[in-house]
This record gives sequence, C-alpha cells and structure tokens, in this order.
Amino acid sequence: MKKVIVTLVALMTATVWIGTQASPETDRAAFEKFFTQKFPNTPTADFVNGVYSIHAPSRAQWEEIEEFPPYELSIDAGKTEWNKAFANGKTYADCFENEGAVRGSYPYWDSDRKEVITLELAVNECRTANGEEPLKYSKGKMADISAYMSYQSRGQEINVVIPDDADAMAAYDRGKEFFYSKRGQLNFSCFDCHGGGAGSMVRADTLSPAYGHTSHFPVYRSKWGGMGTLHRRFGGCNKQVRAKPFKSQSPIYRELEYFLTYMNNGLVYNGPGARK
Amino acid sequence: MLKKISKIFIPAIAVLSLSGCASLSASEEFTAAWDAADAARKDAAAVGYEWRDTGKILGKAKAAADEGDMENAMKLVAKAQEQSADAMVQQKRESELWKTRVPQ
Repeated sequence: MKKVIVTLVALMTATVWIGTQASPETDRAAFEKFFTQKFPNTPTADFVNGVYSIHAPSRAQWEEIEEFPPYELSIDAGKTEWNKAFANGKTYADCFENEGAVRGSYPYWDSDRKEVITLELAVNECRTANGEEPLKYSKGKMADISAYMSYQSRGQEINVVIPDDADAMAAYDRGKEFFYSKRGQLNFSCFDCHGGGAGSMVRADTLSPAYGHTSHFPVYRSKWGGMGTLHRRFGGCNKQVRAKPFKSQSPIYRELEYFLTYMNNGLVYNGPGARK
Repeated sequence: MLKKISKIFIPAIAVLSLSGCASLSASEEFTAAWDAADAARKDAAAVGYEWRDTGKILGKAKAAADEGDMENAMKLVAKAQEQSADAMVQQKRESELWKTRVPQ
C-alpha cells in the first residue's frame, strides 16, 4: 500500500512538473482551450473584446459607447505627437516604420540586450535617442502615442516569438510564474481572477477573461477618467489584491506582457479600447 | 536644612532621571523594532512579494511614535512585521504551488 501511495505521489509530482515544463505553444493551446471551454458561446476571435465577449449586458453598453469612443481624442493627440518634429528635426517616423502600424511586432525578445522590448519602451528609446526627455509610462502622452500606434495597427495578428534562446525562455517562464502566483494580502494570482474567476462578479463588475487581454491596450477606463497603458492596468490589478505594484516597464511587467501576449497569439490587435 | 532639601530633591531627581531613562528606552525599543520591520519589508520586496500597505503602516508607526503614542506605534510595527513574514511565507509557498494552476 505504501509503495502504491509513493508511486502515485511521484506520478502526480511528475505530471505537475511536466505540465510546467511544457513548450510555450503547448501552454498557449491549453490556455486557449481553457477559455473556449469555459465560455463555449464566445467565438474565439471575439475574446479580444475582453469582458464584452462574455457578458451580453455589458457588451450592449459598450457598443453604445463605441458609437462615440472616448479614446478618439487620445488617438488624435497621439497623431499630433507623432507628426511633431523633435528638436533635432526628426520624428517618430524615423524610428518606426509603416506610419506607426507596428504594434504587431511587439513585444519581442532582444537577444543582444537579453530583455523584452515593448512598444512603449521603444517609444521612449526613440525619444532619448533623439535628445528628447522620456515620457512617463502609464498615461498621458505615452498613452496617446500608444493609442495612435495601436489604432494604426488594428487588425494585425498577434504573433509573439519565443526564440530558441535559453534567456528568452527564462523571461517567458518568469512572466508565466508571475501570472499564476498568488500575491498580496488578499492572496490572489492574475489567473485566480481572470482565469478561474473570469465571468464571476466582483462587486458590480464582471471579471474579464485573460485570453485576449493584451490585444486592446491602451484603454480609456471610465474608472480612470482617461487613458492608460497595459502596465498601468497591471499595477492596478496588483494594488487591488494589496500587493505592492511594480513600476510600469519594469523587467517583470515586460516579461508578464511577453508571456500574456504570447498566450494571445493568433488573435488580432484591436486597440485602443474602452473599458469600465 | 540641607538634609531636608536633599530628602526632597534627591528622590525627585532620581524619579525624573528614571522616567527619562524609561522614555529613552521605549524610543530605543521602537527604533530597533521599526528597523527590524523595515528590513523584513525590504526582504519581501527583494523577492517581489512586498504587500501594498506594509510601507504605509511603517510610516504611520513613525508618525505615532513622533506624537508620543508608543503603544500604537509598537502595535503598527508588529503589524508591519507580521505582514512581511506572511509575504515571505507566501513567496516560498508560491514558488512551487503556482505550477499547479497552469491549464493542461
């Protein structure tokens, strides 16, 4: 009997270990399956619409809001910034191709620098390379530029690549661990709320599914009364579970973005968005 | 006369000195406890698990101590210390347990 128990425990441990050692593509397929099984009435492509893909009453309100989208002013402001010359006469167009329609190329792993590069990080690196001050990462002008570039990129397929590079895989794994780990005084993981808890109510709101989460940022949030980037939202979620948030564009948030965006491979970018 | 004055003043000076020492001791005790709690907070931060309010609680503890409310100050320090200890337990537990939540 003891041998049987020991064998069973060993098998269970091995199963868990094999599960966590899965390739990113195996992870992604299981992630997609989890959400498509949990919400069988939601077409896969519709998960890019977040909570509105699973909650009809909220969707009806959102469709009304989309008649006059609150993020439109931010796109316009971002376009103005995009066209404004830096002090050296150059513009963002000297850093980014295709009139800024490059959201589909981010985030990516930079093998030389050994780090994840996000669009917002690249925007600031463009600025500093041209002698401009960097922008704050969570809102304001950064959210405007990001909104403009996201709008330009609408419809691009999400296709994050994890190259055959142990450091890239380690960054992906750190993002994955962060996503599934409980933290803060309330002891919640990202997945607790936006995986197992997706579709449940938190006070008056329905929790959105994580599948598709990174497609529609930056967003105009009614709660914020303005625009915010994906990392602003990461920080907000951490605060809500009473964990000390990390800084926007900190390495761990970039790695979380890397993992989470990889999970959305095959969906399309549809930002900027409007959320409650 | 001198003897009479000594009888009154020497104990009074002793009491005042002792109360001064007691106050200093409480302050020292608070500083040591606060430093230990802040070090524990930094340990939790170093592994990415600092809780949202721990730093604020330590700030409130300092404010209470500055106002002379040592009882409340020490209570707040103990609360912050406990939060950081719990955060470290959480980090240790989650370093393995997160794997069980990954969809298969």
